[in-house]
Amino acid sequence: MTITETERTDTGRHVTVLVDRCAGCQECVIRCPAGALSMESASWTAQADDALCVGCRQCERTCPFSAIVVEGPLALATRVDPPVRHPVELHANVTETRPGYATWDEAIAEANRCLACPDPTCVRGCPAHNDIPAFVAAIRDHDLETAHAILRRTTVLPDVCSRVCNQAAQCEGSCTWSLAGGEPVAIGRLERFIADQVAVPAPVVVEPTATALSVGIVGSGPAAIGAAYELLAGGARVTVYERDDRPGGLLVWGIPDFTLPDVVARRPWEDLVAAGVDLRLATSVEPGDLDQLLEAHDALVMAHGAGQAMRLSVPGADLDGVGTATAFLQGAKAALDPGGDPAAFRASLGVAPGRGRRVLVLGAGNTAMDVARLARRVGLEATCVDWLDERFALARPDELAEARAEGVDVRFSRTLTSLEGFDGRVVRAVLSHTTQRDRTSAPVVSPDALDVLAVDLVVMAMGYRIEEGLRAHVPQTPIVKRHRGFAPGRWSASGILANPASPACFAQPVGALALDREVGLWESAMPRRERLWAAGDALTGPSTVVEAMAQGRRAARAVLDARPSRDGRAHGAEPSSPRVLVAYASASGTTARLAEVVGDELRRSGATVSVLPVERVDALAVAQADALVLGSWVEGLVVARVRAARAMRDFVDGLPWLGGRPVAVYCTYGVNPRTAPAELAHQVEARGGTVVASATFGPGDRAEDARIRPTKPEAFAHRVAAQVLTQRARATVA
Amino acid sequence: MAVLTEDHSRSGFPGSHQVDPIPVAIRTRPPSDPEATGRFAATDPPRGLDIARLKRVGGLLRDRRLQFLLILPNQIIFWLVIAIGIVGTVVPGLNFATAITWYLWFCLVFVMMVVVGRAWCAMCPFGGFGEWVQRRTFFKRTTKSLGLGLKMPERVAQYGFLLSVGAFLVLTWIEEFFNIAGPGNPMATSFMVLGIVGTALVFFLTFERRTFCRYVCPLSALIGTVGAMGSVAGFRTRDRSVCLSCATKDCMRGDAEGFGCPWYTWPGSADSNAACGLCTECYKACPSDNIGLYLQPPLTSVVAPSRRRADVAWSVALLFGLVLYQQVNALGAFVSLDNWLNTHLHFPQYPNPVDYVGIIAAVAVVLAAIGRLFSVAFARRDVVLAPGGTSFVERTSRFRSYFVPLMYGIIPVVGADYFARQLPKFLRYVPRVPVSIGHLFGFGSTSSRLYHASLIASNAGIIAVQDLVIALGTAAAMWASWRIAGRDLAPLSRRPLAARVAATALAGALGVVVAVLYVWMNAAN
Ligand code: SF4
Ligand code: SF4
Ligand code: SF4
Ligand code: SF4
Ligand code: SF4
Ligand code: SF4
Repeated sequence: MTITETERTDTGRHVTVLVDRCAGCQECVIRCPAGALSMESASWTAQADDALCVGCRQCERTCPFSAIVVEGPLALATRVDPPVRHPVELHANVTETRPGYATWDEAIAEANRCLACPDPTCVRGCPAHNDIPAFVAAIRDHDLETAHAILRRTTVLPDVCSRVCNQAAQCEGSCTWSLAGGEPVAIGRLERFIADQVAVPAPVVVEPTATALSVGIVGSGPAAIGAAYELLAGGARVTVYERDDRPGGLLVWGIPDFTLPDVVARRPWEDLVAAGVDLRLATSVEPGDLDQLLEAHDALVMAHGAGQAMRLSVPGADLDGVGTATAFLQGAKAALDPGGDPAAFRASLGVAPGRGRRVLVLGAGNTAMDVARLARRVGLEATCVDWLDERFALARPDELAEARAEGVDVRFSRTLTSLEGFDGRVVRAVLSHTTQRDRTSAPVVSPDALDVLAVDLVVMAMGYRIEEGLRAHVPQTPIVKRHRGFAPGRWSASGILANPASPACFAQPVGALALDREVGLWESAMPRRERLWAAGDALTGPSTVVEAMAQGRRAARAVLDARPSRDGRAHGAEPSSPRVLVAYASASGTTARLAEVVGDELRRSGATVSVLPVERVDALAVAQADALVLGSWVEGLVVARVRAARAMRDFVDGLPWLGGRPVAVYCTYGVNPRTAPAELAHQVEARGGTVVASATFGPGDRAEDARIRPTKPEAFAHRVAAQVLTQRARATVA
Repeated sequence: MAVLTEDHSRSGFPGSHQVDPIPVAIRTRPPSDPEATGRFAATDPPRGLDIARLKRVGGLLRDRRLQFLLILPNQIIFWLVIAIGIVGTVVPGLNFATAITWYLWFCLVFVMMVVVGRAWCAMCPFGGFGEWVQRRTFFKRTTKSLGLGLKMPERVAQYGFLLSVGAFLVLTWIEEFFNIAGPGNPMATSFMVLGIVGTALVFFLTFERRTFCRYVCPLSALIGTVGAMGSVAGFRTRDRSVCLSCATKDCMRGDAEGFGCPWYTWPGSADSNAACGLCTECYKACPSDNIGLYLQPPLTSVVAPSRRRADVAWSVALLFGLVLYQQVNALGAFVSLDNWLNTHLHFPQYPNPVDYVGIIAAVAVVLAAIGRLFSVAFARRDVVLAPGGTSFVERTSRFRSYFVPLMYGIIPVVGADYFARQLPKFLRYVPRVPVSIGHLFGFGSTSSRLYHASLIASNAGIIAVQDLVIALGTAAAMWASWRIAGRDLAPLSRRPLAARVAATALAGALGVVVAVLYVWMNAAN
């Protein structure tokens, strides 16, 4: 074994460390799942043992200097994939099409494909950040209780998510094997195996005390479920307001039984109600009710989803026989339930016996697939049209294949131009052809090429959006789920962003997608306004079950941290100390030292304080803090534009919505701070913060020079403490 | 939301309900600890010599405009050089291009090299220009770069500085051929500078980071080797254990504050100043404020490194060959040889490429032979060599284990020799620089009194200064060789003391050869 090139062994794999460029940083060594890398101590460069290497390329993706190259095949067994079930008789058949693992042998064989990566990219890819290598290891140990315990740390819907997640864009797409171009570990199936074998554990309930938090949740979809579990575990009293007469939201009406069986979809609410959640069905919350709810509860979590189907306005859209996905999905589901009647449902749609049965589904995303496949099951013919190019389709590729196998006619690069009717009822659809160059550009409609299609029913299934009424009362929603600026160091370091858009994840930039999802997660931890949080589709617009669930949990924990209080509620025994985050941007160290002075004073006043340079503040610290103090040096000379340092301005721009959180600002200056503090305060307010104090410290005011006590920074700290502590006291005493 | 995402996981408040689940799932292997092996102890600069701890210096280094402001004046001067060389007067001594380049700049670069190290690289307009274009900015931190962003192929990269030495040899030959530094036609100086800027630009647009500087720039190897004498250790880690446990390595990858190291240097493992371009990026990028700008006692980077590099050793040998060639070419015997070769090879004029390459190679071969002689004379047969790699820089052999340290030891002689070679032009002609500047504005001419002034005019005076420089260099080389041999050669040798004495004597002998050549050269003049 040598340093540069190891002997070629018969594995065909070969790792080359480019010694001139290798700086010995060990980023590759600490992450190699196979332990094939170590340090050569004389030259202080990495060295590889080809015989141990499995070819996963993690080292290549993580080396900051691109100083390591791996050649040769992946040491990867064939993925254990039970084949999709294609029902012989589709009519009225709602059995699951995707089977789980039936035997331990299958599950273990698949679990053995997992490398237990030390810095697992799959975990970043999973929107809930399930500890995948750990639960896979538990399966290998035949220990499903532990596997459930590991899952419970991050998810309350393993049985649901493992069935409905788009794994190719999430966990499996981010699996190291996928990033290397191979077939990823079947993470979804393994997760499902755990829940198939051993029931998902019941909610943990901490009995609410007399002074417990009371939290209202609007809606009962996955975000609400996630929030309710966490609130119960945190000892809060939970009341859920659901407009429907069945809880579960999208889970029960939006996902067909052949994907998510009814028993699985009902499980969470059966457990939650048994655990003591006050579930109020058929209770619609209107915008005007919010104030009243905020009087009744200490906090509200808005999890009402995005249930308004989008409509296309084309000529003929108001004809009879043109409907939305929501109505169709609900009706079809009821028709296919035991005791339902597909023929009666068809009749209710106006598709009478003796007439054609073609339903035109507008869209070819996942909702459209569900509509079309349900249509097939209630005895209709289905055609889906989507103006996107098939290469950039929104539906899961496996879902698309299954739909086609079930006889759904899916046409891409087509868009509906008009609907024509006879006697007031739709009979014909005119479709135009479109072309789309790449994923991000909008398709272009070509005017001449037209298809004419005889149709008997049209279902608009282009997707959903948040209902306008409530949305207007939840500030800054829907958020833009896009990560801007530099990827956080740990994300780059893990290698998930160095993904070559592998075919195994259908060429999706899984790392960038995951990072964008992270934005939704951290935004859900911040209140939208005082005592009101939002999570799930109500926060982000239409999204996925797992994201909604994860955001619900995150919002609930943020509520538990914030301990908000409606007027008149008696609090628990000890008033908790407020958490204050002091974040500073310092060039020469002055601002940093002042941050310490301010921090010390705040501590003396009883706050729990964390003092950090802005570049080390993460979203977690911001989410946990009850108040922020921001300190910055001022850039620019007297003549140039004087303002807070760029690092601070960028930091504030990058903050999630602060939802009224108290913020104090100070600037340190050499000559004249001009309007720097005012501008900074303004910027903070634009992010939803409430500026409670502001100060400037010049050369004479700095603590070390001051002869008088309290010094100016100390006095500033007292003011901040007074503000923050009063708020807390108001909440505590009342 | 931009900057804020799970990153440095230790920032949370205790007792919170909110936890970040990702760090929980990370179970990286423990890194191996270089402190345990004492790997870096000898090369770490004294902790107290971290000038970035000074408030003003620290603030300055953090400012993204600093590098820009260092590069800008040089950028202006060199574009002026290009322009004035072409359109200005053809009198070399009066032309700003030639005067500033050959009377002042080249000499200053050597002074900076010997005193600091890569100070020139921090302000270099050639790399600076390429970098501006590559980064599409003068100083801002950008993400998208211009160009192909390729990596230097390992086939070439394994030779480290040797490509740069090659470039320097070629450039020097061209310079001698056209008598550019003579100084000859000012236009030639313009084209030379333009050529360097153009080549640099092509490399910056083809490869990533400062591949040009690290591998190709004609000055890089010279600065990297001779600069090792310098008293600036460069940007180094303050606490190595922090770097080892650092989960992000922002100094290498870059972050919002700074680019990843353009020179492929990790402050956490740097053991000399050879590959730190003093660009301040790592200092800006490190989220843990764990990088300092360190001074070190002179010669530390010559004496201390434990990972001695073969490319550096061969660079020293070849560069020594070049400077000896430049001394020898003033001698009568050489002129006859060159003429004879030109006649027989039908080459138009001095310098004949055959004797140019021949003499340089001969010097390198003689030095290698001396290394071989050392290994034959001293090597203990029972010492097992560390296993090396197959690439050029990593191979190990008995020959190398003597040759490489010996070459490190003579770096001060080589450095002194280069410096001494520049002295006559500087001492005689540097007063012409202000005259040439005046000439641009219409006053100052060859009849100006200053134009004919010198710092030292007499041959004897100049030789005295040159030999003084050589004497200093030789003394430094002898001291360095004594130390290096004591640590690196003695444990491998049958007669450790003899090996040390021989290594020291070698440095001394080379110094004497060089000094004598200066006397002869001037006699020949
Ligand atoms: S390819 Fe994977 S197993 Fe092989 S050395 Fe790199 S990280 Fe280790
Ligand atoms: S990550 Fe790259 S630079 Fe760091 S030790 Fe590995 S090969 Fe060397
Ligand atoms: S929740 Fe979804 S994304 Fe996460 S591991 Fe399970 S299947 Fe994968
Ligand atoms: S699932 Fe894939 S990425 Fe995750 S630990 Fe296993 S092999 Fe690694
Ligand atoms: S210098 Fe800073 S960024 Fe670089 S490895 Fe050390 S601690 Fe990390
Ligand atoms: S980034 Fe740091 S180590 Fe690299 S060249 Fe610049 S100053 Fe030197």
